[in-house]
Amino acid sequence: MKHPVVIVCAGGGGVGKTTASAAFALALAKSGYRALIVSIDPARRLADAMGVELGTQARELSLDSDGGQLFGLMPDPEDALRTFVEFLFAEEPEALERLLDNRLYRVLEAAVPGIHEVATISLTWRAITEHEVDAVVIDTAPSRNAVDFITYPKRLAKLLGGRAVGWMAAIGKRTTVAPQEDKMGRVEQLLLRALGPVARDVAGLFAEMARVRKRFILLNEHTSDLLLRPETRYYPVASPTAAAKDDVDYLIKKLGKLDIAPRALILNSAFVQERDWVQVLEASAETTPAIDEVLSTLNDERSTRNRAASRITDAFSRRYPSLPQLRLPFIESVEPRSIVHALSQSFDIATLLER
Amino acid sequence: MGKTTVAAGLALAAAEAEGEAVYVEFGDGAGARRVLRDRPSGLEHVVLDPSRAVAKAAAPVFGSATLAKLALDNFAMRPLIRAAPAVRELGVLELARQVVAEHPGKRVVFDMPATGHSVAWLKVARQGRELTGRGPVHDLCAKLEAELISPRRASIVVVTLPERLVLWETLTLCETVEKEVGLSVDRLVVNRVPHAPPENALTDAVAMSKSEGAVGEAAQQLAELLSIRDAVRKQVMQALDETVHRYGEDKGGDSGLTLLPFASTDPTARTVAEWLRSAGAA
Repeated sequence: MKHPVVIVCAGGGGVGKTTASAAFALALAKSGYRALIVSIDPARRLADAMGVELGTQARELSLDSDGGQLFGLMPDPEDALRTFVEFLFAEEPEALERLLDNRLYRVLEAAVPGIHEVATISLTWRAITEHEVDAVVIDTAPSRNAVDFITYPKRLAKLLGGRAVGWMAAIGKRTTVAPQEDKMGRVEQLLLRALGPVARDVAGLFAEMARVRKRFILLNEHTSDLLLRPETRYYPVASPTAAAKDDVDYLIKKLGKLDIAPRALILNSAFVQERDWVQVLEASAETTPAIDEVLSTLNDERSTRNRAASRITDAFSRRYPSLPQLRLPFIESVEPRSIVHALSQSFDIATLLER
Repeated sequence: MGKTTVAAGLALAAAEAEGEAVYVEFGDGAGARRVLRDRPSGLEHVVLDPSRAVAKAAAPVFGSATLAKLALDNFAMRPLIRAAPAVRELGVLELARQVVAEHPGKRVVFDMPATGHSVAWLKVARQGRELTGRGPVHDLCAKLEAELISPRRASIVVVTLPERLVLWETLTLCETVEKEVGLSVDRLVVNRVPHAPPENALTDAVAMSKSEGAVGEAAQQLAELLSIRDAVRKQVMQALDETVHRYGEDKGGDSGLTLLPFASTDPTARTVAEWLRSAGAA
């Protein structure tokens, strides 16, 4: 399979990451790509940003213009794991039945931390192959969780590829009869005591996992490759606040430890566009006191926002002089979808993908 | 969205009102460096590193620090701990519980992770307790619920922005916290709320848009912008009203809603503490 262009947008909470990711994906589609936008974030902003229902199966979205195609995927934390294991155990129906009956699995299905992300990225891989997409934009969870997410498939592949699965499954066999601690190693005893009655479920889950181990390892290697190969393009997203800057600094530092260099920085709400009509009204003698007050507020807001954005832009330029910045305008609209469409015009795909 | 500044502001206000308080953040301590530059002597700052949480929290689960080290250094346990869901979160919560236990009688303010992850963290102790039934992991989870995530011990403050996507998600978060964690949201802080325009500005702009030429066109643009802001504001206020109605009933007249103004520069924790105090929220 030909590798798609993979774009990962990451940044702090509330910086407009989902909106920027959706605009990026839309711009790719308008440029002729078969693009897929995926939200890893357990929050549900992507569907609102795109103005459509999205779910665990990728679906095609309307572009409202010529171009390629756009698909959206936003697995629901409540059913992402079920869909994923049904895919994983497609050739092991009896093992699947046992797995679904496992108490530990049932708890995991109720959105235990980490599970949603790993299921979603695996479902992303499936959507890429099923829909033959050639560009994927991944909208991650806020920065500090995004770094965990990037390395999770690799950690999972290491766990599944190592001796731990067999070891845990063997504990399971021993717990099906009365546990004989004298025949166990010290750590096995410690683990069984720590877990209590659930040890059997843990071991049972590993025993089922052992049946699909090769498929699961392969899938995790694919997803890990998707996120960590040198061609994968990382774009930190920030808004003009000091917190967003700190989050980007944290992210870039952590990505550096993984030998990942971001391609460009996306600065959301980086400027307020010039409004010529404000000057026309200011020069007019027809305005009322209420309009004068609004015009004054608009000017204040504009200069405040632009000053804040300049401070952040300058700070990033000093700290990361070779990192290009894509500055997105501050756009106001009742419908989030209109904001996504407006922002997509700021993404010059050819230039962005050259870097 | 200002979560860190609000958390630090609450801790600062508590330290000034009660003499002592603790502000806890997870990660690298960047939050306090940014917003708590003039930390008063009564405010302690604690940084919990999630990457070291399991090793530090494992001793009571395995019986001793030595046994915990033996278990965690095992060839199979190492990758298991690194990849198993919820293990690290339980470790972090145990460290959080220890901070609370070490500071009896003091207010401890935690700057939790963003949205969905906070809920997952808060749920994990109950999930662990129900799953295990008995044993040290069960006991750990039960202790976390009783001493940390219990309505008697914890108050939830949710911070959001007056923007549709963020706000809608926040309201879902409030519902989830109530239904799945069993805690009600004590306060909803809406940050960066823009000033409302004068009441008759839109009517005046619409009237002026009937003028001919450039002035009429400019007034039309202004009317459109004011209409958008008015619609967004109504959407936001309606959603907040519903939330206040739902969560504010038992607060004895306090709506549980605090609106913080849009500021020209990033506010410090001290500024936010003053805002919260004047709004009766700290």
